[in-house]
Amino acid sequence: MESSAGQQEVAAQADEKVVRWPQAGRRTDEWSECLVKIARDQDRAAFTRLFRHFAPLIKAFALSGSTLSANHADELVQEVMLKVWQKAGAFNPEKAAASTWVYTIARNCRTDLFRRLQKFDTPLAAEDFVPEHEENQEPFAQLQSKRSGERIREVMAGLPPDQMQILAKVYMEGKSHAEAAAELDLPLGTVKSRVRLAMQKMQVQFERAEQS
Amino acid sequence: MATHHHPQLELLTEYAAGTLSLAQLACVSAHFNYCDGCQRTAEQLQDVGAALFEAQDAAPVGDALLNTVLARLDEAPPLSYGKPRRSENGVPALLQRLMSGDFSDLAWRKITSALSIAYLKTGDPNYEFALYQIKAGGTIPDHDHRGSEMTLVLEGGFSDDRGTYHPGDFTFRQASEAHAPRALPGQDCICLAVLDAPLRFTGWKHRWMNPFLTLHAG
Repeated sequence: MESSAGQQEVAAQADEKVVRWPQAGRRTDEWSECLVKIARDQDRAAFTRLFRHFAPLIKAFALSGSTLSANHADELVQEVMLKVWQKAGAFNPEKAAASTWVYTIARNCRTDLFRRLQKFDTPLAAEDFVPEHEENQEPFAQLQSKRSGERIREVMAGLPPDQMQILAKVYMEGKSHAEAAAELDLPLGTVKSRVRLAMQKMQVQFERAEQS
Repeated sequence: MATHHHPQLELLTEYAAGTLSLAQLACVSAHFNYCDGCQRTAEQLQDVGAALFEAQDAAPVGDALLNTVLARLDEAPPLSYGKPRRSENGVPALLQRLMSGDFSDLAWRKITSALSIAYLKTGDPNYEFALYQIKAGGTIPDHDHRGSEMTLVLEGGFSDDRGTYHPGDFTFRQASEAHAPRALPGQDCICLAVLDAPLRFTGWKHRWMNPFLTLHAG
């Protein structure tokens, strides 16, 4: 499906190195560099910069649509940022954006915190569910996956509000499709088709999932 | 190994959003062991989550919290952040951990002449997480569900009215969709099944068992 024009575009991105955030207007590289410095030099200044950017986002994520108290939200910020410091060595800037990496840690910690608060008796933590094997690690595949992350950010900025609203409920508020439908007073089918439309526009590859 | 039956977009999205129940999460992520394509889709769906995460209105965080975290940076990290490796016999490591042994070490409970079930403990209070062993060529009698049923084939294979399923193949059925899966000949079929309500046999020959089929969640 990827045309040769698409490949040239990917190659051009590689040369350019400096890629801009559509909304925030900051270089993606800044946060990746911080993570690399933390891993390499235990750089506290880099950590402080990262903290000032991500901690307020983690706190907003903690408080989003949930019943977590402000204390629990602060606890989550601490836990996530400590993990960022401890696990920075596992971050691969060639493969993922720093924000995706931090988001998955925040998501896992929030899920675990919910389970702890509900007194789940389980031997499993959310991070046990990371895929066990690395898929294709060819440089071209890595570049494509980074490129796809950037495209998602660009396209998202232009999504219609009715689609954004549902995505925010599903991801940030942690609602199921059925819960989102009930809260927005929409048929479940409408919620599903809006999610599907949004993912199509962002060119998420999900044809496989449609023929299950 | 190419798989032909995959989790729907909705399940992959809930995986990426972190909202799948623990038992369903274990089943969906075990499918990724067999399917790079779904794993890539899940990664893209995580990018969607990250973009939403970054686009949030930030909540103010004071310097006190920053100082608390800075003071804790020298704490020894938890023992292991190692990634589990794919095990040699092809069984996802996560399952291996829950089984603590081999398929043959499990406490199999015989339900019919062709079907045995071994219940595993995930700690999920709402979903039963069990391994089903169907004798080669044997059938699970006609049944439906009071809830949903998620299945992942681990060994052998089975077929039903929707198709044929081999190791790594995934199905998700909603309540009240009846089916009678038959194991492929030649090899016993072992699959992982995640249910939120017990099976319900619909044929007269097995209906008497229904009161004994309770949900083994937890």
